[in-house]
Amino acid sequence: MTIQVYAVLKDYFDKEFEIKEDVHSINELQEILIKRNPAFKNILAVCRFAVNDEFVDNRFELKQNDSIHIIPPSSGG
Amino acid sequence: MTVFTSYHPAVEDNENYLSSLPIDILALLASAHHPKAGAVVLFSGETRNDSHGKEVAYLEYEAQEKMANKMIAEILKSALEKWNLNIAIAIHRTGKVSISESAVVVITASAHRSEAYMANRYIIDRIKHEAPIWKCEYFTDGTKEWGGNCNCQKITGDPNKHIYEFENKEK
Repeated sequence: MTIQVYAVLKDYFDKEFEIKEDVHSINELQEILIKRNPAFKNILAVCRFAVNDEFVDNRFELKQNDSIHIIPPSSGG
Repeated sequence: MTVFTSYHPAVEDNENYLSSLPIDILALLASAHHPKAGAVVLFSGETRNDSHGKEVAYLEYEAQEKMANKMIAEILKSALEKWNLNIAIAIHRTGKVSISESAVVVITASAHRSEAYMANRYIIDRIKHEAPIWKCEYFTDGTKEWGGNCNCQKITGDPNKHIYEFENKEK
């Protein structure tokens, strides 16, 4: 599945990358991301996750071809 | 970028509330007159030359454009219904925004000024806290910082719960 990150999260991960592991939920995805970069844990709690452009909660079930966006706290205006 | 009370829903879906080019405030204002509106309020959020005690060179905005457009459309629609507005307009910049340029413009028009003021504040607050748009400050000393984040979750404990200025009647 494809992961896209924005703003400050680009200091933690590439802007866009693939996850090859078998992932079934946002919770599992979060664990894999923390393994890739342990520092992500500090900012994870304030991020929202979106699948196919809709916000989802941590129990959301992921499919292999889903496109996931990780949305850090807004700072528009 | 404009939502009228009598808009066609199919038109709204294609609206773009983001601009990579400077916002033409006067043209927007010119489009905000309505025969039933006795009050038009325009807010322009502009780039300041200082932040965190440092001199700002310019800002750069990034957005998850599809989600930001959808969210701003929903915020405008909600404001139109809540305050029975005649017109609600919002447009937010992406890319590089220089000092004194508008990063965001919100215009509201209603029969009387009270509704136009309140709705305008509601719209800008919700855009700032909820829309997936981010600012990066570039300083004259060569450093940069992703900044001005919505920090509400530190108080509310939930990234989806915000503390809005428009809800605080004392301010």
